[in-house]
Amino acid sequence: MTSRLMFRVLGALVAFALLARIPVGFDVGFKFDAALAVIWAFGLLSLVLLTGYVGQISLCQATFAGVGAYTAGMMVSSVHVDYLVAVIAGVVVAFALGVIVGLPALRLRGITLAIVTLGIALVFDRYIFQDHAFEWFTGGTGGWRVGQATMFGLRMDSSTHLMAAYLVLLALFCLVALLLVNLHESGAGRRFRAIRDSELAAATMGVNLTRYKLLAFGMSAAIAGMGGSFYPLVAGSVSPQPFWLFTSLQFAAIAVLMGVRYVPAAALGGAFMAFVPDVLTRYGHGTFMGHAYEISYDWFQIAVGVLLIVQLIALPDGVWGDLRSRVRHARSAAGAVGGRRVKVA
Amino acid sequence: MTMLRVRDLTVRFGGIVALDRVSLDLNRGEILGLIGPNGAGKTTLFNCISGVVRPDTGSIYFDNHSLTYAPVHERARLGVARTFQNLQLWGSMTVEENLIVPMDALGRRNTFSDALYLPFSGYAERASRERARAILHVLDLDRYARTLAGDLPAGIQRRVELARALAMRPRLVLLDEPAAGLDAQETAHLAEVLHAVRQRFHVSMLLVDHDMSLVMRVCDYVYVLDFGKMLAKGEPSAIRNDSKVIAAYLGEESKKLPGDIQTIAQAKKDERPLLEVSKLAAGYGGLEVIRDINLTVRPGEVVACIGANGAGKTTTLRAISGMIHPRAGRVTFAGKDVTGSTAERISKLGLIHIPEGRGLFPNLSVEDTLRLVSNTAGREVDISPAFKLFSRLRERRHQLVGTLSGGEQQMVALARAILSQPRLVMIDEMSQGLAPTVVRQLFEIIRVFRDEGIAVLLVEQFVESALDVADRAYVFEHGTIGLSGPAVELRSDRKLVAGSYLGSAADAAAIAPANGNGHHADPALMEIVSVRVPAKVKRALEQRAETENRPAGAVVVELLEKVDDQ
Repeated sequence: MTSRLMFRVLGALVAFALLARIPVGFDVGFKFDAALAVIWAFGLLSLVLLTGYVGQISLCQATFAGVGAYTAGMMVSSVHVDYLVAVIAGVVVAFALGVIVGLPALRLRGITLAIVTLGIALVFDRYIFQDHAFEWFTGGTGGWRVGQATMFGLRMDSSTHLMAAYLVLLALFCLVALLLVNLHESGAGRRFRAIRDSELAAATMGVNLTRYKLLAFGMSAAIAGMGGSFYPLVAGSVSPQPFWLFTSLQFAAIAVLMGVRYVPAAALGGAFMAFVPDVLTRYGHGTFMGHAYEISYDWFQIAVGVLLIVQLIALPDGVWGDLRSRVRHARSAAGAVGGRRVKVA
Repeated sequence: MTMLRVRDLTVRFGGIVALDRVSLDLNRGEILGLIGPNGAGKTTLFNCISGVVRPDTGSIYFDNHSLTYAPVHERARLGVARTFQNLQLWGSMTVEENLIVPMDALGRRNTFSDALYLPFSGYAERASRERARAILHVLDLDRYARTLAGDLPAGIQRRVELARALAMRPRLVLLDEPAAGLDAQETAHLAEVLHAVRQRFHVSMLLVDHDMSLVMRVCDYVYVLDFGKMLAKGEPSAIRNDSKVIAAYLGEESKKLPGDIQTIAQAKKDERPLLEVSKLAAGYGGLEVIRDINLTVRPGEVVACIGANGAGKTTTLRAISGMIHPRAGRVTFAGKDVTGSTAERISKLGLIHIPEGRGLFPNLSVEDTLRLVSNTAGREVDISPAFKLFSRLRERRHQLVGTLSGGEQQMVALARAILSQPRLVMIDEMSQGLAPTVVRQLFEIIRVFRDEGIAVLLVEQFVESALDVADRAYVFEHGTIGLSGPAVELRSDRKLVAGSYLGSAADAAAIAPANGNGHHADPALMEIVSVRVPAKVKRALEQRAETENRPAGAVVVELLEKVDDQ
């Protein structure tokens, strides 16, 4: 084990230890937000791999999460398996869908690929998640209700055992994040980055584009699906609304906002996506200097748009990426050594 | 022993035959050169071998493996590596990482063991890293190992590309214009590097380049393509003097003597220059394509820019017309400093740029295209003079421009330029992809421009035709102007112009064995030669002139004739 790997493992453990304590003492609403934040963070993490590492655009990451959620919900509600099995099933189905979606990416890139994935998101949103023909998969208009679920023999369900679900989610997130950081510096990661920088050169230098692009799409979908498959557990049911088209677009926007090449930015973005709207709806109304005001969820959407424009001008490498390099600069100005290297953590 | 065997390769793009039953053999350990004028099919052949283009018929064999339809990454596995003309390094990775990717892309490591950091992956990682360091050491790139590839200057990036190709442990390296964007000194260094690489890594190479000085210096054997057919093959020294090859590069020799043109040129000499370019430098990204360009165009004058591909002619035009931003120097047009001004503003001053590919709108009719001139000129323009000049366009006035033939499209572009009543028209590669008869017609139109008092700056690959019509010419070489002078003088000395295409004439002069009678030296010629001769050769020439007690010009003329005789 190299010292760098030790450092990373330590980092993941510390992150877990710190984040695990945060929701303690808050009400159920905030505990739900915390768990939701991790689910969204998985979605953003999937974009760190797909867009940040491999340079592929996808506007259907919420669809992968949704497929994971519905598969897990179906497995638990109709087959009554342990939730662990449900999660594995969700991940596998999402992976398979990711590989299928990756097929057009073998030929397309840039804006055309974005539009194709957007189309896939639309089709799943409208004609699968909301269609009667797929009731066996979606559980009908009401969706799947997950009242009681066990994982590793532990009881965890939405209302009373949210903390347990949150901890399992967080542990998984830290683990996947660690693997992704490792991947970046490894041979496969370099091949991914080679595809991002120049596909033609990558193919010429012996990188099998078909294999690595499909793998990237599959792995990315699996990561999004892993987060999504916990959704029925956390929310108690599945519905199409959280996984609609707009969530996919929000994933893309917030991933860029926070820094699409950086793993910790995914956690930051997840928290942003889960907490800010809730805080706005809770405390976003009242009176200020005699004037009544109300800040609704719509303001969150507008804020994301405005922030994105500001970020692209002021922090082109994303919030995390630019803050990180600023800290680095300050440190090297203070006399610390270290050459310029692209890192992800 | 034959390593790469190409047989009867044919490639068609639509109706155009890019390669016509081309065959080629490359022996083990050989550096093979592939040259030819623009549009000859070099790149197509190169792309067939590297797998970017699929041939229609024919076969490519590499060490008894068929490469004809093998996917790109499969060729890498067989030991065929390549570099890229337009630098395709992975810019956000370090130089070292750039070398490791091809090494372990061919190994047996897998994504999951890498992510889990299994000991097996770590071991392979260390081995790759050591080998990368060794290759970088040989190519004198050690100190850049941890630098991001995108941050390096273009010259170094070329060397890293070569290092990356070598990291694949290839048996054959395909080099796509490795000298593009390098100056004469860097090119000379590259030649040394290529020789060293062959010795240290035991690789064969296929070299495609416009830079004849490199090809002549490095290659064991040279193939020449022209119009998709193999025109000639042989040792570099034989190719350099092959009359067919010279003709292919310079276009057919013209019979007309432009006596009347010279008088016009003389008459215009005193006027203040319309366009004055001094010390201009420009480029793209990390590549500086042109440097220290000085040229002038006087009112009503026709000036030609000739020279090998990649010498910087097009870039010069783009920098003048404001399509790219000059990095240094000054451009003055009609007494106004227009350096770095926008293309729109410059065209308003009366400088029209017809770019390569003509810059037309394929979905507009001929008439609408010409009417658009009113828009840019800011006044109502009568388009009938255009139809008077080009009666063919009158017949086709309602046809969409995109459906016209290449020659007719060029006529539309020229007509559009004339209607806006410019003071200077810059035409880039007017004759590209056109049949010789059409080209002749178009050159007649250049004379019409002159009669209308419009100055013309031409970039042309048909050297003979261009020199026919032009008053003066500039010969571009390695991003600077190698020689310049009245077109008549340049025409009368084919050898000099040929030298700029087929490797430096001065090189040839220095190599050729010399003795014989004295010749009378033309001082103008001597001046032209003196611009281009490297200091070392010049000293040698002067020494010899001194020992033989005759003018240096005489020695040069004699040497040049020797080259011609061979």
